[in-house]
Amino acid sequence: MSGHVEAGPTSTGTATAGLVPAVAAAGVTKRFAGGVVANDRVSFDARRGEVHALLGENGAGKTTLCNILTGLYRPDEGEVQVNGSPARLHSPHEAQRAGIFMVHQHLSLVDSLTVAENVVLGWSRHRGLRYSPRQVEAEIAEIAARYRMQVDPRARIWQLSLGERQRIDILKALYRDATILILDEPTTVLTPSETEQLFSSVREMVAAGRSVVFISHKLPEVLAIANRITILRKGRSVTTVDAAGVDARELARLMVGHDMPAGRVRRAANGSGAAPADQRGVLELESVCADGDFGVQVLRDVSLSVRPGEIVGIAGVAGNGQRELAEVIAGLRSHTRGTVRVDGSELRGGDPRAAINRGIAYVPEDRMGTGVSPSLSVTENLLLKSYRRDAPHAGPLLMMDRADTQSLALMEQFDIRTRGPHALVRQLSGGNVQKVVLARELSSQPRVLVAASPARGLDVGATEYVHGVLVDTARRGVGILLISEDLDEIVELSDRIAVLYEGRIVGIVDAAQASYEQLGMMMAGAA
Amino acid sequence: MNTDLIVAIVVSAIAYGTPLVLAGLGELLTERSGVLNLGVEGMMLMGAVTGFFVSQQLGGPGWAVLIVAMIVAAGAGGLMALIHAFLSITVRVNQIVSGLALTIFAGAVGLSSYVGQVWGIGGQHGLHQLNRVDLLGLGELPVVGPILFDQDPFVYLSWGLVVLVAWYLYRTRFGLYLRAVGESPRSADAMGINVTRYRYVHTVVGGALAGLGGAYFTLAIAPIWTDGLTAGAGWIAIALVIFAFWRPDVLLIGAYLFGALSSLGFTLQAHGVQMPSEFFSSLPYLMTVVVLAGASTTLARRRIGTPASLGVPYAREEG
Amino acid sequence: MISIERSLDTPRWQRVALPFVSLILAAIISGLVLAASGHDPIATYRQIYAASFTSPGALTSTFVYATPLLFTGLCVAVAFRMRVWNIGGEGQLYMGAIGASGAGLLLGGLPQPLLIPVMIVAGVLAGALWAMIPGLLRAYLQTNEILVSLMLNYVAGLVMYFLIYDSQSFWRDLTSPTALVFPTGKTLSASATWPGVVIGSFTLPTGFLVGVGVAVLLFVLVRGTRFGFEMRVMGDSTSAATYAGMRTRRIILAVMALSGGIAGLGGASQIGDFGHVLDPRGLQQAQYGYTGIVVAALALYNPLAVIVVSILIGALTNAGFALQGPSFPAGLVGTMEGIILFSVLGGEMLGRYRIRIGSPLRVAPADAEADPGR
Repeated sequence: MSGHVEAGPTSTGTATAGLVPAVAAAGVTKRFAGGVVANDRVSFDARRGEVHALLGENGAGKTTLCNILTGLYRPDEGEVQVNGSPARLHSPHEAQRAGIFMVHQHLSLVDSLTVAENVVLGWSRHRGLRYSPRQVEAEIAEIAARYRMQVDPRARIWQLSLGERQRIDILKALYRDATILILDEPTTVLTPSETEQLFSSVREMVAAGRSVVFISHKLPEVLAIANRITILRKGRSVTTVDAAGVDARELARLMVGHDMPAGRVRRAANGSGAAPADQRGVLELESVCADGDFGVQVLRDVSLSVRPGEIVGIAGVAGNGQRELAEVIAGLRSHTRGTVRVDGSELRGGDPRAAINRGIAYVPEDRMGTGVSPSLSVTENLLLKSYRRDAPHAGPLLMMDRADTQSLALMEQFDIRTRGPHALVRQLSGGNVQKVVLARELSSQPRVLVAASPARGLDVGATEYVHGVLVDTARRGVGILLISEDLDEIVELSDRIAVLYEGRIVGIVDAAQASYEQLGMMMAGAA
Repeated sequence: MNTDLIVAIVVSAIAYGTPLVLAGLGELLTERSGVLNLGVEGMMLMGAVTGFFVSQQLGGPGWAVLIVAMIVAAGAGGLMALIHAFLSITVRVNQIVSGLALTIFAGAVGLSSYVGQVWGIGGQHGLHQLNRVDLLGLGELPVVGPILFDQDPFVYLSWGLVVLVAWYLYRTRFGLYLRAVGESPRSADAMGINVTRYRYVHTVVGGALAGLGGAYFTLAIAPIWTDGLTAGAGWIAIALVIFAFWRPDVLLIGAYLFGALSSLGFTLQAHGVQMPSEFFSSLPYLMTVVVLAGASTTLARRRIGTPASLGVPYAREEG
Repeated sequence: MISIERSLDTPRWQRVALPFVSLILAAIISGLVLAASGHDPIATYRQIYAASFTSPGALTSTFVYATPLLFTGLCVAVAFRMRVWNIGGEGQLYMGAIGASGAGLLLGGLPQPLLIPVMIVAGVLAGALWAMIPGLLRAYLQTNEILVSLMLNYVAGLVMYFLIYDSQSFWRDLTSPTALVFPTGKTLSASATWPGVVIGSFTLPTGFLVGVGVAVLLFVLVRGTRFGFEMRVMGDSTSAATYAGMRTRRIILAVMALSGGIAGLGGASQIGDFGHVLDPRGLQQAQYGYTGIVVAALALYNPLAVIVVSILIGALTNAGFALQGPSFPAGLVGTMEGIILFSVLGGEMLGRYRIRIGSPLRVAPADAEADPGR
């Protein structure tokens, strides 16, 4: 307990530059329609020259708090203070004028504009009407040099990797001379070496007297970069601690609210249902190549095999071909070379119906946009694939009454909580939508399940549920390809782990022997 | 072909193309902000009828009357656009249906016809018409004279507007913000740009330019008013924006190409070429189909072009 | 500040009430327009009512306009519901008229019970084929079908003019003396005339009955069949449809053909029920295709509701033509239709949203952190 410091100006943190906090939340409460309390009397303060971490699980209220700090939402109670006095933050613009700038989790750049155009968007050092690309490009080059960032001011955003885009977003804040930078889960899109670069930039920023609010749910990186840490749990700020005085275990306990057993429990299906290593894969990819949306090759000679009852994890930093890989297997994207085989016989590319008929189930990453038809009912969404053959019908007519009865059973089995089978899917919570997708995909008795970021955006309970379903499904002999940017999720569930880097599989390791360090090296393309 | 014929074709291409340039520029600005307004035909007709009415009513020197008529025409177009702006930006209705509604509301059998009858301007012969202005006395030059230096003020205005819009889009802060709003209203909003205001302003300005384009029919081409006299020019203007990949310079060229097609029949018949008139009349429409099909294959390959948020209402709390 | 927020449910009564509220609102706003221009709104509305329902022969002539609007309304309803923006009903109707009159002229010797179905098939095919042009371009090149279908309306109009006024075509009457001075089309034989159902002084056109049948079939198709299921998924989310293995291109083509075929059937009814001759001017003046958009929107794209709405808008259109003249404002009908459309659109959205005046209450985003459903 020695590490605990009560939040407030009396604390004796390692950051010593000034006692008036640069930014502070005082008793901030935010309720949403439907009685959800996303923030409940949250308080924290970040000082000048300090990296202050907001640590919490998904659903702890971090993003809502950020949206309040950056003026997107207004608090129902409490206030935000900047330099010690209450601040009126009724729009992002007002927040930026107060010096608060957020580097978004979903980056807020305009794809078709150049780096320079994005940097001056909404604010320019120059008054007046004119926008001079040359002048701005020179200014950007100067800032980039000062913080040792590699940037081409004339590049268009869509040409850049996710890591580079994040750099532009930070550059934008620096161009505006932001005094308070909020980084929301910044390392999700970075390789370990890019993370190191980011951290050294962050250290330079605080050395220059700026404050950084660092939002994360990852303990090691919080310990590595933060001066002080405020822990959020279920919408409340639990406490604020000095980073120097705590260890990961203590932080984990504060974050979850109870003691966690040492190390992570592996619930994986290891060995339980997986077929012996010499058995033929139910899904086999051989030298598969495919192009991305803009005609550039994004999958290069991917060879991979998933055996019945096995979970194969695809690890990698976002944007290295994961989406395209899932789409090729599901038939939503044609491969340009190589073969995909299901149960030993070749699958025709670019034909989703063929993939469905061959027993490939697919839980897409974009569940609202692709996985469901949001304005249709739960029953209709459960029929989305089976209406062609298995749905109850009389001649050409579908029998919706009987379909409703069937979907009631599925709703029971998969714990889908709604007003009934006629509820529209767009009215459901994220967790329930994902359960609808899983119920439909698994009720078709698939041979293979491709699951892309199946727990993204879900709360802790729903995540647990989804993971449990995946493990059970594997036990029943289905081969699962689990694609995720969350390395913990991959390590926790997989039997084997393949790492995708720039469209290539750079290595496949047995999960039992895998180490984070080794996987991290591979994800960075260093192995 | 001899030079005279070519000059004649180019001159009439400019005459028929000018309303397309004006209305097209307007729609370009509107679409760049992410709003699709299919009501161009209706807005043009309202501009045409109000402009003509004002020019018939006012006394005073011709040039002053015509300037007031143009301003009123632009105002009428802008007012029509405001209806669409309210419905599509604030109420967030389907922009396609709202635009169609605007065309029905203001169009050939709608409000423009109604006010035309109420004002009783149907059979009147116009008192004022925009005349050619021989710029710098260079109109007598061979070939370039009649094309570049002997046009009516509307044509010079349209050229000025093309340059102005291009400069605005690519060399001013507000133009940059506009492009951002059309591409990614979310990002623009996050950067403190007022998405709603940008969309309103550019939808209304787009309507004003469509109103001006309509007024060109009744104040310059032929000073009379008949119901539905724009004959689909508004729709061609919308197609032109796609053809031009949302760029003002390309739009100018495209508009004159379509202008040449529209006038080709008359020009060729005047030079003794025999063909059914329906064939020539259908050329601009058929060309639009061909051009759209061609542009869509190119658009599929190119990354830049359609504003990414075109036709999608923006609300901050939604995805 | 005024803000508009999403509410999760639309009560059923709101959807039912909406078209009526829209009509009343349109009557009020149009009344203001009328009053502003020196007309007496009440008197004008009385005139419209009498001309469409109560004066002798009014109901029959209302159905003369309601019949084509039933078809073009269904044409728009079936397409728009699937977010295929076919606004080429106008041209598809012309093509249906060309096809049906061609078939009627060519096979004029056939007995009536055979010839009517032949004309229907010819009209449907002609309309469907014309609609396939924007359909194919949309399905295979992602070309904007709004503009293509609209451009083809003008082209179809010009094709009709060419056939009757500017060529020696099969459709044109080249023998009778008046036709040599004023070009017209050939008149169809008596067996090509659709009989209609006579009830006292009122004649219900055959086409209207056929249209009601089509509406019922469409209703069953959309609600009850696999193809209808595919249509509804496509109308909501194309990417979900692709993901579910639906043949999206084929569905777009099928819907376009269906939509165009229905408009073509309307063209056939124009020939068989009313004109008995291909009359380019008459068809083009009426603008049935565009008015079909108003009908479909007011019916909230429900095929069965289109039946009722087509009679209402048919009455309005009828009045517009019947009362044409110096005392009745031209363009009033279009203006009213526009206002009706605006009201329906606004009302449909406002039913889904709630207007708030004052500071907005934020709704938690779809993937909100806290999950009330659990």
